[in-house]
Amino acid sequence: MSATITQAVPDSLRVCTVCAANNNRSMEAHKQLKDAGYNIKSFGTGSAVRLPGPTIDKPNVYQFGTPYEDIYNDLMSQDCRKLYESNGLIHMLTRNKQVKRAPERWHANSYAGKFDLVITCEERCFDSVVDDLMFRLHNNDYNDNEVKQVVHIINIDIKDDNENAVIGGNGIVKLVGMVHNFKRQEKKKLAEGTIDDVSDAILEDQMMGILAEWQKDHAHLQTIYTCAYY
Amino acid sequence: MSMHTASEIIRQLNEAKNLAFSSKETFPQVLRQILNFVNNPEPSIKLWCSTFLKDSFQSDESVLGNADKMDLAMDSLDSLIILSNEKHLEIFENVINSSIVIFKLVFKYVNENDGCDDVWAKLNQLKISLTSKFSTTFPLDSSDNEEHDRYRNLITKIQLIKFIVLVIDYQTKSDNDEHFNLNSVHPNHSLIKRQAIQAEAHGLLDNLLSVFEYDTLVTPLMNPLLFQLSLLVKRKSQFIPKILSCVEKFDTHEKLQSNYQTLDEFKLSRKYVDRLLRIFIGYVFKNRQLPSNLQQSLGQKLTILTERGDDVRRKNILAAVPQDANIKKKRFDGFINGSKTLKSLDYKNLYCLTNPADELNNFDLASLPQHTLISMTIAALNRVDPKKLNKALGIVAERYKYALSNSSLMDGTDNEKFEGDDDDNEGFYDSGSVYSLPPPKELSYQEKRDQINLIIQNFLRVSQMSTEELEDGSKDEGESQSDGVSSELTKIAIKHWQKGSWIVVLTRLATRGMNSNYESGSIDEEKNNELSDMIRNAIFDYFLENIHSRIDVIIEWLNEEWYSEVVNKELKLKNEIKTKILQDYEAGKVEDLDGEINKQFATLKENIDTPQYSKWSAKVLDSIIPFLESKDRKIFIRLLSDLPLLTDELVGRIKSLCLDPVRIKLGFLSLQYLIMYRPPVKQACLNILQDLSESDQDDLKEEATKLLTKYK
Repeated sequence: MSATITQAVPDSLRVCTVCAANNNRSMEAHKQLKDAGYNIKSFGTGSAVRLPGPTIDKPNVYQFGTPYEDIYNDLMSQDCRKLYESNGLIHMLTRNKQVKRAPERWHANSYAGKFDLVITCEERCFDSVVDDLMFRLHNNDYNDNEVKQVVHIINIDIKDDNENAVIGGNGIVKLVGMVHNFKRQEKKKLAEGTIDDVSDAILEDQMMGILAEWQKDHAHLQTIYTCAYY
Repeated sequence: MSMHTASEIIRQLNEAKNLAFSSKETFPQVLRQILNFVNNPEPSIKLWCSTFLKDSFQSDESVLGNADKMDLAMDSLDSLIILSNEKHLEIFENVINSSIVIFKLVFKYVNENDGCDDVWAKLNQLKISLTSKFSTTFPLDSSDNEEHDRYRNLITKIQLIKFIVLVIDYQTKSDNDEHFNLNSVHPNHSLIKRQAIQAEAHGLLDNLLSVFEYDTLVTPLMNPLLFQLSLLVKRKSQFIPKILSCVEKFDTHEKLQSNYQTLDEFKLSRKYVDRLLRIFIGYVFKNRQLPSNLQQSLGQKLTILTERGDDVRRKNILAAVPQDANIKKKRFDGFINGSKTLKSLDYKNLYCLTNPADELNNFDLASLPQHTLISMTIAALNRVDPKKLNKALGIVAERYKYALSNSSLMDGTDNEKFEGDDDDNEGFYDSGSVYSLPPPKELSYQEKRDQINLIIQNFLRVSQMSTEELEDGSKDEGESQSDGVSSELTKIAIKHWQKGSWIVVLTRLATRGMNSNYESGSIDEEKNNELSDMIRNAIFDYFLENIHSRIDVIIEWLNEEWYSEVVNKELKLKNEIKTKILQDYEAGKVEDLDGEINKQFATLKENIDTPQYSKWSAKVLDSIIPFLESKDRKIFIRLLSDLPLLTDELVGRIKSLCLDPVRIKLGFLSLQYLIMYRPPVKQACLNILQDLSESDQDDLKEEATKLLTKYK
């Protein structure tokens, strides 16, 4: 597991990061958020875990749930392991092994509970998550006890390579920090009674402002946002 | 209820909760007990109860059996109705989330158990209590502006959408009966009237769809609404035309930028809503076979949205582009500063509806001529929208109430400022009557005395302050009390204010200020004199406190005393002479009117006496002489030289100094000074010396004789 010793954020929202294969972008962000002490999980929206192979038309395909360790061993046993070392695949899997056991599929994540904040790393994944939650809205209410919760879904478009995954991860940590700081500050102000309009303390009322502020400093990380029901 | 007992109750409630959640059998009993606490006045306990209800109803069968939960749902209706009107954000959220489970359970129960009128009535009451709040900002108070309220308390609306869509789902027919819907309701049910509840559901949907018609974009509301509408599209074909026609007509690029969002936020909003529309239309295509015309128009819409999305993706969305010029902002109909709380207790904060940081607020209207102000005010009142004026006054009234109910603001010295305010009477305003100021009330003699006392105290207080303090004081007042007039007044008054100014004003009040045309010797004049004497005594006492350093005050005062007495008496004399000579003139006895008046005046004015002056200067000398020491030479001589009039009687008081062996030098020095520099009293001084030269004390005799020979 991660070597960094971190203090858990006590009031952490339940956060998850989502990319296609739950290997590079969502995992880098997962690692960074974990290191920062947040309550974090990660998923992939693809149908299977697809990693680059010896040629573009021969990807390495694994089932979600295949441990990173096994993927790592498989790649290391192949003839072109040197290629995987030079293109960063090996480095990526070494990191992933330290973060969690195996890539997880978004569409089958009901065991993981609900989330307050979902961060996707690609527009395609954002669409997939929203579409899936619409499906669940219709499909899951056989259970009369279930009440949907409000979830904030934010897409941050990150190019799928090592370097951009790190830059994107930094941006995500910053944004997650801003949301938490907002909640803390406003909670404090509410408790002190120094707030003029309670609306100023409601995250949903102020979320657009937070996103605009973040976007200003991260022009190359394009965003999409919606409030939805989980 | 004190905090201690509230936290004690919550501790016990938590114990009860633990018991309930660990024992299925005791759960119902515990929950029913807890329902009694909903009426507790302590908000923290109400909040606790609402959270407990939410957790209980969301728990699964392993914690609370289904049959028990059904019973408890019905038993909780009353409590939830009460809590649903509690003005508390979290409580209301908990109520919505509890009600989502309860509505399903109780609706199904009523369906199966026809005749339970009471339960059905309560369920409807709870439903209406929740759904009616979607168009409000409950539990927050609404602001001054409808546009602003669109962006306020979105979380509650987002939560309410869930409940409203549930009601619509239950109260209308679905395409299949996979889920409970109106088809599941027993035909001829005596309570659940199909038509009525269906109509209600349609009304609720219309209400939700009104969000599409806003002329601004409220992304955090619009997107979750689209999300929930996906459920209705999936299940209810009868709603498809209505919902999709709204979607079709809706275009983010036709919306206005709100005054409550920045340009950046607006640009992001358009992108975010466009994306959700795109996903929504994709979801509809995936799940529904649409009629070809809808298929086509929505297909076109999808193409446009996709192109827009791809286009915006390639650029930095926040960078300024020429198209930004096409963005129109909604006309601002609110107040930049619509805050209903008062930050500091002054008129500026009470009335300021513009940006408090605006430089314009520092412009002092009091500097404009009155007629300009009047025409400006009339023009403004003519132009203002009465509704807006009403709102503005409403905000000011709220601030006023806030200030009155907020003791921290009212604490301290500022208290008096507000209590004395006449605006308290605003409730009695009658627009029909012409208002005129009441005539000033005649003060009683006692009231006058009180006022004079107050004035004296104030001036003496000022006398203790240094000029720096006075100036600082004026600055402070200017800042805290920013109504222009008084701060300007203070500035002007203080500009020429010097250390001794107070004594000038105070002495003039005692003399000229109190001077009246009352007949001499009348009771009125006597009373006025008494008031003057109050001031004189105060000045005199002030002097006695420190005769050495306050001699200037005395000189200033006695000069004013003498001068005003002479001037006043001369005026009276002249008038008397005039009246008398005018009679003679009319009778033909006098020819040169002015000449005669002047002649008589010149002779008679020699006789003008100054009894007030004489009285008080004697008092001063009597009080100062016993305390003089030889080192006080300078101040005493200064006094003698600066007093406007020295009578023989006054000069005579120097004699006592000469008789005192310690102060003999001072006495003779004074006499010598007066002989040399005040010729009118030379003779009086020589008389004293004459007296002393006949004394039996040798040193006295010697000194007196020496001076006599020198100056005689």
